[in-house]
Amino acid sequence: MNCRSEVLEVTVEARQVEEAMLALLHTILLHRSSGKFHYKKEGTYSIGTVGTLDIDCDFIDFTFVRVSSEELDRGIRRAVSEFKDALSITGSDGMGQISLEFYQKKKSRWPFSDECIPWEVWSIKVNVVNLANEQERQICREKVGEKLGEKVINVVEVINRHEYLPKMPTQSEVDNVFDTSLKDVQPYLYKITYQITDTLGTSVSTTMRRLIKDTLAL
Amino acid sequence: MAHFDTEYQRLEASYSDSPPGEENLLMHVPEGAKSHWHHIENLDLFFQRISFYMKNGFTCMLLGEIFELVQLLFVVGFTVFLANCVDYDILFANKFVNHTDSSKVTLPDAFLPVDVCSARIRDNAFVIFVLIISGVFWLHRLVKFLYNVCCYWEIRSFYINALKMTMSELPYATWQEVQARIVEIQKEHQICIHKKELTELDIYHRILRFKNYMVAMVNKSLLPVRFRLPTLGESVFYTRGLKYNFELIFFWGPGSLFENEWSLKPEYKRGGNRLELADRLASRILWIGIANLLLCPVILVWQILYAFFSYTEVIKREPGSLGARCWSLYGRCYLRHFNELDHELMSRLSKGYKAASKYMNCFLSPLLTVVAKNVAFFAGSLLAVLIALTIYDEDVLSVEHVLSSITLLGVCITVCRSFIPDKHMVFCPEQLLRVILAHIHYMPDHWQGNAHRYETRDQFSQLFQYKAVFILEELISPVVTPIILIFCLRRKSLEIIDFFRNFTVEVVGVGDTCSFAQMDIRQHGHPAWMSAGKTEASIYQQAEDGKTELSLMHFAITNPQWQPPQETTQFISQLKERVHREATGAASDTHPLSLSESEPRSLIANLLAGPSTLASVHFSSSLTNHAAAGSSDGASALRSLSPISSSFHLRGSLSAANRASGHTSTMSKAMAGSGTDARTVSSGSSAWEGQLTSLVLSEYASTEMSIHALYMHELHKQQSRGELSRHTWHRQESDESSDSVPDEVRSEPNPHSRHFPRSHTFPTTVPSPSAIPTSSSAISSTTLGQERASSHSSSQRRYSGPTTDSFGVGGKVVRSARGVPMGGWAEEGQAAPRHHETLPEESSEDDMPPQIHKIA
Repeated sequence: MNCRSEVLEVTVEARQVEEAMLALLHTILLHRSSGKFHYKKEGTYSIGTVGTLDIDCDFIDFTFVRVSSEELDRGIRRAVSEFKDALSITGSDGMGQISLEFYQKKKSRWPFSDECIPWEVWSIKVNVVNLANEQERQICREKVGEKLGEKVINVVEVINRHEYLPKMPTQSEVDNVFDTSLKDVQPYLYKITYQITDTLGTSVSTTMRRLIKDTLAL
Repeated sequence: MAHFDTEYQRLEASYSDSPPGEENLLMHVPEGAKSHWHHIENLDLFFQRISFYMKNGFTCMLLGEIFELVQLLFVVGFTVFLANCVDYDILFANKFVNHTDSSKVTLPDAFLPVDVCSARIRDNAFVIFVLIISGVFWLHRLVKFLYNVCCYWEIRSFYINALKMTMSELPYATWQEVQARIVEIQKEHQICIHKKELTELDIYHRILRFKNYMVAMVNKSLLPVRFRLPTLGESVFYTRGLKYNFELIFFWGPGSLFENEWSLKPEYKRGGNRLELADRLASRILWIGIANLLLCPVILVWQILYAFFSYTEVIKREPGSLGARCWSLYGRCYLRHFNELDHELMSRLSKGYKAASKYMNCFLSPLLTVVAKNVAFFAGSLLAVLIALTIYDEDVLSVEHVLSSITLLGVCITVCRSFIPDKHMVFCPEQLLRVILAHIHYMPDHWQGNAHRYETRDQFSQLFQYKAVFILEELISPVVTPIILIFCLRRKSLEIIDFFRNFTVEVVGVGDTCSFAQMDIRQHGHPAWMSAGKTEASIYQQAEDGKTELSLMHFAITNPQWQPPQETTQFISQLKERVHREATGAASDTHPLSLSESEPRSLIANLLAGPSTLASVHFSSSLTNHAAAGSSDGASALRSLSPISSSFHLRGSLSAANRASGHTSTMSKAMAGSGTDARTVSSGSSAWEGQLTSLVLSEYASTEMSIHALYMHELHKQQSRGELSRHTWHRQESDESSDSVPDEVRSEPNPHSRHFPRSHTFPTTVPSPSAIPTSSSAISSTTLGQERASSHSSSQRRYSGPTTDSFGVGGKVVRSARGVPMGGWAEEGQAAPRHHETLPEESSEDDMPPQIHKIA
């Protein structure tokens, strides 16, 4: 695929899943968001400000920074809690993967819908473990905090590389690159998907879709 | 207070047009997307289309597809019409029509009226069934066609807007030129987002991803395409239908090994559950085989109809065309280099066509010739009489069966004539074979020096078959394909799983590719093919027939701009220098490999001047009277390649000039001496050469490649002649177990070595101790191989190659299966428990799962 993919892997306790996921997703999005663009007449624009917020975790010894946008936070929280629920249904020690995909829209002519072409995918693999007693939980609490700190540094390193980013759009194209629906911040277009290990194999519908696409492309 | 009137004044309302509070903000200018060619989602498909489009152009593509659709409609419609709407009694004049005005029967008389016709169709359930099936198929094709048109329209605008090539100059452009432009485009638009710059190899990898796998699998004799039939002996069966099924199973069908076009499914990259995966693959093959079996009648009917409509007319017009030959599908796979595009392969093979058919014609049996001459004589006399009578009075034609017998006699004579050799032809197979080799670049070792033997001819005919045989094979393909799938391919499922795991590498910016296609001498080189000492590959990892080395040379020569990794560069430049030196006739006394007992002439001189010593020995022993004539003819045939030596020098200097102007690489030193004077020819610029120059260059490139191929084969022969004694001993050993068929060509010699992926050139690929690289593990595995071949008893021995956990090209490539390439030749039952032990335990604490090593 013509897109970068980065994989992060974490091992956490069931109650830490939500916070760990929020920490990582918010960290990535913090670096993939910009202030709102204000376009001027002559084809120039200025960029608004982005506020940041420190969030302390309850179940992990960890503090992370996120964009202070309630709307953005709400969207991510919804996705993460869905993921957490799906994970808890499968049983105590599940495995799952949540992925954050940044994409660009490409306008197509009439018979086809707009293509969404991803350019960067972050996959976070989650291993849920069960701990026996309180002491282990305490140790886990610290260890996961440390691990998350490493991951955050990892993320920042990756983002600091000079690699492909969509070019800054003109006013008419801004919707193809950025998510402009939020009023206080403007992240790159993203979507969050998740998989639980049981369904990690290709499902029937994706197979069918691929089959049709492949026969068309032959 | 004095009022100074200065020129300094307060600027009025300078910030009035910006909202308050934003005065200090930076202003940005959006770059915008100048074109929408940045960041293309499916580059594989995109490059494939570009290369396909280049050959055809939009209009041809459109017309071709439309006609294909129309043809399909026509075939079905016409068949139904012939079956239901024609009154054959009238045509055959068994029934008379009473016309009022004239007695002539016209064609429309034979047609049934529309209502009768439609009633007949409606009553016939089978016809309805066929019509429905073909209707669905046609609709599917129609949708595909519309989709394709849209895609190619995109490609067209890419050519015009991004590559800046107009449609009028496209037919005359070479692929190298288009490719150079794509590489340029990448710098500007970033069509691939992983890297700043695309290399030629990346583009080839993407276009040929699956084809490289197929070539490698044929090279390692993994695909069941060679069979030993009870009466026919050794034969090859590889048709389009079979190929389609292979691709369906491996690459894109539902549940195939590949997740999408660019990556293998992760579970196939780990060795852990290979047995389970093999089971799954086997059952999938079974299902696909059954599906093939069920669809067999439909496909069969279609094949027959299609063959009938497309070939009958041709056969009637020129019956000789059936006696003509073509490169078989298997041949195209066997002869293909890694990273060779379709058009490159086809032009190469077409150049060898004439020599190849000449070679095959050498072998007409004298008995057959005598018979054919006489049959032709009798048939000819009958025909002459009939024609003479017809000329005298054309009423003869209306006598029953006269017209048909004239036609039949004509066919008969043409067929006979194809068995009568040209009077002026001389028997010089060795030289002809060498000319063929110059173009096809590959041949099994045992052909050299045995060109006059029937076995060689038979094996060559597997690559170069009769057109008639090709059509016949296509016709029976629907029946045979499911049998092959169910009974042959299914048994190989474990080997296939192992193959894909061991020979898949993930290249940044390209995805998963066949590791053979990296053309890395170190990983896949063959010690008997000049890479001795450089290669670290075990026998399982070596590409047979010098595929890696020849492919590398081919790619480097056709893409002079390509910058290979360091070691590879060294290999190429060494080889080029050697060839160059010998071609210019420099003294070759420093040559390390000319130590054998042959005369001290340089190899190239050997090649150009006349038959090699070995060949002439055979000539003199078998056909003394022909030898002299044969050699001169052969030499002239070789000279017909093109004025070799002169063009070779020119090409060398041209490419050197390019290199020198484009990049400063170490390679240019080798030819810099002659490169300076030719710099004017290539007109300075490296990427944007004139069309003429690039055409000329590609022509020289093919000649240069021919020389290199010949040279490498010659060197290989000299090298292996040193170990002749061992070689013959070995062959005798293995001959004991089999009959007189040459052991090189057995695909499954006996049940013991069923899982031993024998190459058809196996015995000669066992290197002698002198040729073995220093790697100790390679030695151990080769000696094991010899033991096995001699004893035939060790069916449960497992060969594990050396642990070459090496980083490939420039450290960017990572072997997906790290550690031991497992299960290469292992027996299922034995291997299973061991693998579970030896598997590297995958730690979940790892930041990166094992299949995604990111080194770059």
